[in-house]
Amino acid sequence: MLEVKHLSKDFGGITVIRDLSFTVNAGERRVILGPNGAGKTTLFHLLTGVEKASSGSISFAGKNISKMNAVERARVGIARSYQKNNLFEHLTIRENLMLAAAAATGKSRWFFRDVINQADMKTRIEETAEQVALTDQLDLMVSAVSYGNRRQLEVGLALATKPALLLMDEPTSGVGPAMIDTFHQLLETLPRDITILIIEHDMDLAFSIADRITVLNFGEKVFEGTPEDTRGNPTVRQIYLGGGDGTYGATNDHA
Amino acid sequence: MDASFWLLQFLNAMQYSMLLFLLSIGLTVIFGLMHFVNLAHASLYMLGAYFGISVSALTGQFWLAFILSPIIVTLIGAILYYTLIDRMRAAGPMNQVLVTFGLIFVILDLVRLGWGDIALGLDAPDALAHTVSFWGISYPAYRLFIIALGLTIMISMWVVLARTQIGAMIRASVENADMAASLGIHVGRLFFVVFCFGCALAGLAGVAAAPIFSATTTMGITILIPTLIVVVIGGLGSLEGAIAGSLIIGFLETFGAVLLPSLSAVLTYILLAVILVLRPQGLIPARG
Amino acid sequence: MFYQTRLRTITLILALGFLAVYASFGSYFAREIVIEITILAILAISLDFCAGFGGMVSLCHGAIMGISAYAFTIMSVKLGLPSVPSAMIGLMAAVVFSGLVGWVTARTSGIFFIMATLAFGQMAYTFFFKSRWLGGDDGMGGIDRFNLSWLGVDMNDALVFALFGVAVLLLVYVIAAILLRSGFGRILSGIHSNENRMQAVGINTANHKAMAMAASGLMAGIAGILAAQHTLYISPELLIWTVSGEVLLVVILGGIGTLIGPVVGAIMLVMLKHELSNYTDYWHMVVGMVLIFAVLAGGRGIFGQIEYWLITRHSPKTPHLPPAKEKDLA
Repeated sequence: MLEVKHLSKDFGGITVIRDLSFTVNAGERRVILGPNGAGKTTLFHLLTGVEKASSGSISFAGKNISKMNAVERARVGIARSYQKNNLFEHLTIRENLMLAAAAATGKSRWFFRDVINQADMKTRIEETAEQVALTDQLDLMVSAVSYGNRRQLEVGLALATKPALLLMDEPTSGVGPAMIDTFHQLLETLPRDITILIIEHDMDLAFSIADRITVLNFGEKVFEGTPEDTRGNPTVRQIYLGGGDGTYGATNDHA
Repeated sequence: MDASFWLLQFLNAMQYSMLLFLLSIGLTVIFGLMHFVNLAHASLYMLGAYFGISVSALTGQFWLAFILSPIIVTLIGAILYYTLIDRMRAAGPMNQVLVTFGLIFVILDLVRLGWGDIALGLDAPDALAHTVSFWGISYPAYRLFIIALGLTIMISMWVVLARTQIGAMIRASVENADMAASLGIHVGRLFFVVFCFGCALAGLAGVAAAPIFSATTTMGITILIPTLIVVVIGGLGSLEGAIAGSLIIGFLETFGAVLLPSLSAVLTYILLAVILVLRPQGLIPARG
Repeated sequence: MFYQTRLRTITLILALGFLAVYASFGSYFAREIVIEITILAILAISLDFCAGFGGMVSLCHGAIMGISAYAFTIMSVKLGLPSVPSAMIGLMAAVVFSGLVGWVTARTSGIFFIMATLAFGQMAYTFFFKSRWLGGDDGMGGIDRFNLSWLGVDMNDALVFALFGVAVLLLVYVIAAILLRSGFGRILSGIHSNENRMQAVGINTANHKAMAMAASGLMAGIAGILAAQHTLYISPELLIWTVSGEVLLVVILGGIGTLIGPVVGAIMLVMLKHELSNYTDYWHMVVGMVLIFAVLAGGRGIFGQIEYWLITRHSPKTPHLPPAKEKDLA
């Protein structure tokens, strides 16, 4: 589904991503792990077209998307949820989802027909709200709901576009343990026609939902494998603990 | 069109560029530092011209007007700062634009109230009221004075920004005001000083321009547009950008008016459009 | 996000009703005022469309109106085309100009956008001011109003023209409302709220903003046609920056982002202007002070503030126009 080949990114002398290659299969749940500064968020910027790679190529569903800009990549089915909430402020949750849904279903060229009460929009909004467990909060303002709910909406916006590839940047960043369970539920119930890449710091969540894990350090891929293999790999443990016993502490730092 | 023609136009362009520089540097540094766009900046220029004329009429002394007028304008600027500007710093850019735009209207009518609707002139001082002959041309000494004044201020600002401590503080605060504050820089006081200095330059430009352009109630908006274009093209917040922008617009308008008179009116706007499309952050922005 | 709530509909009916009644039963002077109000209100609606809902605060809407008026006049007076096709061309000129301005400025926002529109508006003003063929600052006369004699009315009668203006105002309001409730309009509001996220969900926001400016220009162009037909004469005065400043004041004074607020603002400003012009020559100072005061008082405008008070009384948690509860009229 997603093929990254020899991807590199320099920012004026500093190499943030170095010769990165990996493949993600359709429907897979791939977790990206790595300490701070490993380049995880930059990788997402490169995948979504927000930043242009210095070298290398990206293929999605068989097509080379390296030259596409962010808008074009969104149109081919790549969606992203952000580490820091990037919502439509001063609007309700329903309106937020409506905007994402309208954008994805070509409603931006509808000049005369009403969109909010339109049938397939309503369905999509309600379905997405259910997926992210926000059905009861649909008509509340974004500013009036809890941080956890806003994180749910953050994912909801991406899901409302019915993407083929979903990139989730630390979805549980800053939320409490109850909310982590909600996200766990969410991730388990997402249909397999969406391929998912997740940057996560919560190790329990990461290990329980991942099909495979790719570990980055200093912009390079240092390991890739199943959760068990990852847990047992000495290099990975070295990165996180400086050698140790295989348990992990949660960090609140950002990628 | 021989060499003397080109020399004359070159000097005219330089003189106009210097006026644009005096205005745009204040506007751009205030924005770069305070994230505040003061659309009424050119109105202060207009006040500088009118106050200069009044002081000169009262005292018969051009040089007294030349010094007092920027001081008066700075005082007005300081009052505006404490009553309005400081309060609006936290407001969004649109509200700042609206308030300063409102100020343009208010100052416009205050000038009409104070000085009437007819254009007023100011004579160049006796010491400079002659022409200088060199290289085959005769050029008004006063205009040469303006060029010299502008260049002096340009170079002094460069030195101050690059070599002095206050310059370093300003550059640091433009780069990252919060960081600068946490390093112990009194950012609030710095803002006030820079704002007043910008007002002083605007007032100075006004009184300096009065002998050339005479004072009218439309002089504010007439110079505001090219000044804004200079700031957008040069890049907000940077001295180099203001220098580059002033020279580009000054030369474009001056040479355009003589070489392509029918097109000249729109030349600067075409350039503005090109920059907005190709390089919206300006040629030499203060921050990447 | 735009909603046609009950309060707004009532206000619209009251405003239009007031204008119609005032024109019908007032003096000749009242009719002139009503026409002036409708032209300003239409221009203000067009500005609220791009500024209040799209976040594109333009200082060149006076110029857009003027361009439409000039194009209309050139076609009908200079080239002898009939009024209606001339008006269509006038509108097209406004759409092209505003669309181009929108496209050129699409990658800028906030203060850059405002400054650029100010510059382009001034460019248009200078162009017409310097054009000897178009009469320079003397302007052009000889304009005719639309011929509605097939309806049995004489447009040269001030009352008829005033009521025509009110009808056109209603039409423009409805056009704006439909556009704002459509997918196009919702996405525009989304761009205003978070342009970056809008791009991330697949919208070419630069093109969208350019189209929004063009749509706004169409409505401003309608004001221009009316303005030309009102005074039967146009001059570069229509494109002066102070006109753009006044219409921005009207939008702020009435309530930016409410669509009906600007109509209220237009009524108030024109009435105020005519009251004060008896006492003072210094109208600009009043405009400036009202603008400053309106912003310092919170920036919601008169209608906007009233609406806000009424909504927050109900539900403090959602000081926002409740979409599903209120009857979405029409």
